[in-house]
Amino acid sequence: MISKEEVKDIAQIAKLKFDDDELESFTEKFSLVLDFVHHINVVDTDGVEPCYGIGDENGFFKEYEKEQTLDREEVLKNTTESEYGYFKILKVVE
Amino acid sequence: MDITNLKSWELRDKILNKEISSYEVTEAFLEKIDEVEDEINAFITIDADRALEKAKQFDQKLMEGEEIGILAGLPIAIKDNIMTRNLRTTCASKMLEKYIPPYNATVVEKITREDGIILGKTNMDEFAMGGSTETSYFGPTRNPKNKSFVPGGSSGGSAAAIAAQESALSLGTDTGGSIRQPASYCGVVGIKPTYGLVSRYGVVPMSNSLDQVGVFGKDVKDAYIALKSIVGYDPLDATSSKKAKLEDIKFEEISLKGLKIALPKEYDELRVEGDQEIREVFKKSLKVFEDNGATIEYVSLPYLKYALETYYLISTAEVSTNLSRFDGIRYGHRALDYNTLDELYINSRTEGFGEETKRRIMMGTYALSQGYKDEHYKKALKLRTLIKNDYDRVFRNFDIILSITSPILPFPFDSVINSPVDMYKADTYTVPVNLAGLCAMSVPMGEVDGLPVGLQITANRFEEKKLFTAAYGFERSAK
Amino acid sequence: MSYKTLVGLEIHVELMTERKMFCNCKNEFGSMPNTNVCPVCLGLPGALPVMDKQAVKYAIMAGIAFNCEIDNTIIMDRKSYFYPDLTKGYQISQSDFPLCKGGFLEITLKEGTKKIRLERIHIEEDTGKQIHTDHGTTLLDFNRSGVPLIEIVTKPDINSAEEARLFLEKLKNTIKYIGISDVKMEEGSLRCDVNINVVDEDKGIKSNISEIKNLNSFKSVVKAIEYEQERHIALLESGKNTDKETRRFNELTGETILMRKKFQASDYRYQFEADLSKIKLSDDWIKEIESTMPELPDQKKKRFIEQYNITEYDASVLTQSKELSFFFEELVSLIEDSKLAANWVMTDVMRRLNEEDKEIAKLNLSAQSLAELLNYVKSGKINNNTAKKVLREMLETNKTASFIIEKNGLIQISDEDELEKIIDEVIKENQQSIEDFKNGKDRALGFLMGQIMKKTKGKANPNTANKILIDKINGN
Ligand SMILES: [Mg+2]
Ligand SMILES: [Zn+2]
Repeated sequence: MISKEEVKDIAQIAKLKFDDDELESFTEKFSLVLDFVHHINVVDTDGVEPCYGIGDENGFFKEYEKEQTLDREEVLKNTTESEYGYFKILKVVE
Repeated sequence: MDITNLKSWELRDKILNKEISSYEVTEAFLEKIDEVEDEINAFITIDADRALEKAKQFDQKLMEGEEIGILAGLPIAIKDNIMTRNLRTTCASKMLEKYIPPYNATVVEKITREDGIILGKTNMDEFAMGGSTETSYFGPTRNPKNKSFVPGGSSGGSAAAIAAQESALSLGTDTGGSIRQPASYCGVVGIKPTYGLVSRYGVVPMSNSLDQVGVFGKDVKDAYIALKSIVGYDPLDATSSKKAKLEDIKFEEISLKGLKIALPKEYDELRVEGDQEIREVFKKSLKVFEDNGATIEYVSLPYLKYALETYYLISTAEVSTNLSRFDGIRYGHRALDYNTLDELYINSRTEGFGEETKRRIMMGTYALSQGYKDEHYKKALKLRTLIKNDYDRVFRNFDIILSITSPILPFPFDSVINSPVDMYKADTYTVPVNLAGLCAMSVPMGEVDGLPVGLQITANRFEEKKLFTAAYGFERSAK
Repeated sequence: MSYKTLVGLEIHVELMTERKMFCNCKNEFGSMPNTNVCPVCLGLPGALPVMDKQAVKYAIMAGIAFNCEIDNTIIMDRKSYFYPDLTKGYQISQSDFPLCKGGFLEITLKEGTKKIRLERIHIEEDTGKQIHTDHGTTLLDFNRSGVPLIEIVTKPDINSAEEARLFLEKLKNTIKYIGISDVKMEEGSLRCDVNINVVDEDKGIKSNISEIKNLNSFKSVVKAIEYEQERHIALLESGKNTDKETRRFNELTGETILMRKKFQASDYRYQFEADLSKIKLSDDWIKEIESTMPELPDQKKKRFIEQYNITEYDASVLTQSKELSFFFEELVSLIEDSKLAANWVMTDVMRRLNEEDKEIAKLNLSAQSLAELLNYVKSGKINNNTAKKVLREMLETNKTASFIIEKNGLIQISDEDELEKIIDEVIKENQQSIEDFKNGKDRALGFLMGQIMKKTKGKANPNTANKILIDKINGN
């Protein structure tokens, strides 16, 4: 069982927020899912190599021909605010 | 005559014979969209003017005797998590409600090169998370076979677009069944290709080690044409395979004789409520294979029992990082109200993402966080190896594995969705295929209570030809 | 009371590859904001990374130069954190499988050489840049996003600010030698974080580690370590301890200030980067890189001692920077006299470099032009003192040696008849000195030579003049 506080902590890491009502039902659903995934703990996986990629082919390096550099207009067209060719947000000094 | 009920391969022949133009075909599908879309809601964005313009250009090209691509002026609909340059791409999320991509996915480039006519962008579960297309910010898609039922998901819009004859062909993506399950629910053919067969470049990842772009068509030959147009190695996708190719298939020569079929015992043990009638249809389908000279044997894949858990840990872990880039800064929804950096992130993301998306991000963040990583994420990666090994062993002796696609029938709106675990369980048969990077196809095998049910055919990596052999052999004989 | 300072460094070095690490944008500094970006380095939805081969090659070269063990399989990870200059919410980096493991670098102390061990060298991508304006906004430029980096992590083997400085200089020099980065701290292509704590060896207690970020010069590194060292010791002595925290160095005050409590490294949620298939590197390729490695500073030093017959000290000075060593070798090849070349580089050239706090490349002097001057010395056409004056004028006016020598008529007088006339005059005018010399006062000879130089405006060939003078005094 996961607590509301734990859910809040995870939300902070994930940069999400739930109001109290949501938090209640969310914690409940979340607990169900967690109980469900905990089944795998019974499997002995000692000495098993984790799966880092499903294919057996060796990876490859980049080819240089495919250049995709964008015009600045296109770079900035989906942002809310820009200025002097920069993306702009309110000052957020820590 | 309504040409939208013709198969794509029939339309293709007619276009190439100049019996009918691509413009006429495109127009016919656009008219059908006009007619049914209010009810079906298969599309998020329809690109009618550009489609007609492209069709006209294609007809000109055909007239001038230029070389013609495999799609030959056929209309095709694209799932809305695949980037289309200058055409809005939303992932069915408020987060990307207004997003206009500055580039094309490789599959979109290929479709254009193969003379496909892009009709628009199809509806889906938000960021491809869900099995009903109910989590879309743009409202649910309805199942054309019965409009009070879901079409399945997450590629529900692409499946419904075929079933409702709104498009000749369509593209979807499949992470744990998101093509095969809606294909089953809508009574069409859907293929999830081998991981690495189709480029993922420009496809918004849900879970990048599991996602694969695939296709929908009315029948097996339609699906073949669609898949043929998008396969291939892509230097822009480091997970694409240099072996990625789809052989030419002579459908008229296909025979099921000698096909070696495996049935995993574990599937029989995994009972889901109400699946008895679907199993009956499945048994009849098996008989079709046997009657045509295929052999069937039971096999054991012991680690299949843990496939769902493994899938949910790996996929949510990947979801959590794949969706981190949506921070409201460079694109996507930005909250108006923020005073600190944290507020910028938290408010933008909380407003921009829907509930299911947030739940999976949370789950993945938890699975990766310190103290839990080894028992969750790492453990799941190890189980994935064990599951893959199980399949490797089976495919040493068998050509294909058969199962039902979904253990449940299409369900009414707002029914299953409130229980996430039940919703996950519906993916029992489809999820292991993605974990092992295999290819699989869902073909209609009959109906229960007037609702379509699909047969899932699974083959080893890069053995798509075997899928087509089995599927076409079945489709032809089951008629 | 005896305290031991433990310093570990984390050094980020931008690699001078042709392209960025995962896309084909150019890897260049100073473009207009957001003009050198693409879907991949902007982190647009759907864009995928593909690994740059040159970046891997350069990282392997660093690994070889620093004596590391090279892992032949590349597996990348996602390091998750939210920050405005980070486009994807994660940095593609390496956690469990660094490309280079272990290794060391030797520094030269008065007491001898000391090995500073490395923990690892891994590859990762750089972030974009933030500009905080005066009117309450932050501007973001992603041209730097995706530039390949290596992160070099040392073990806490550094025990003083001076050792840290020596280590960084050696590291910078070595990286320049192998040509994988321009290592300019002022442009951010070399960045250094310091981890420091002190051990009270008598009481056997340790202070908690402070991490000091954003150090942008070697001087700051030195000052920050000195400041922190004192701060830690003072706290321990008053019976307290430091907090585990991240601090920032203020260049104006020379103090460090608290940035944030605890390490935010606490949860990066490292995850295997499934967008990049693992790449197994062929042994042949690694061997090829090994066999085509440029000469390293220590190797060059050894060769200089043997090949040019110069002292160890001279050799270590001459190999301190790659450019200086190249300058020296070119000079030797032009004048075919390694002693003369070493003397001139070690004295006059180095003095000038130190005076102006410059590197050889920035000095107005090529090996060819210095060689021209030294060939005048070698052939006896001018003497050493004249040459020194000419060099000074060369550096000031940027004129060639031959131009200056001819303009000022500085070719020395080696003609014996001409010198004899002048020496006769000097002898006539300085009889007292002649007597002194004969009476054993060697210094008198110097005075007489000085008089000869005065009369010839310094142009007399000193060897010839000396010989004639002695002959004459001895009555020949
Ligand atoms: Mg780093
Ligand atoms: Zn780029």
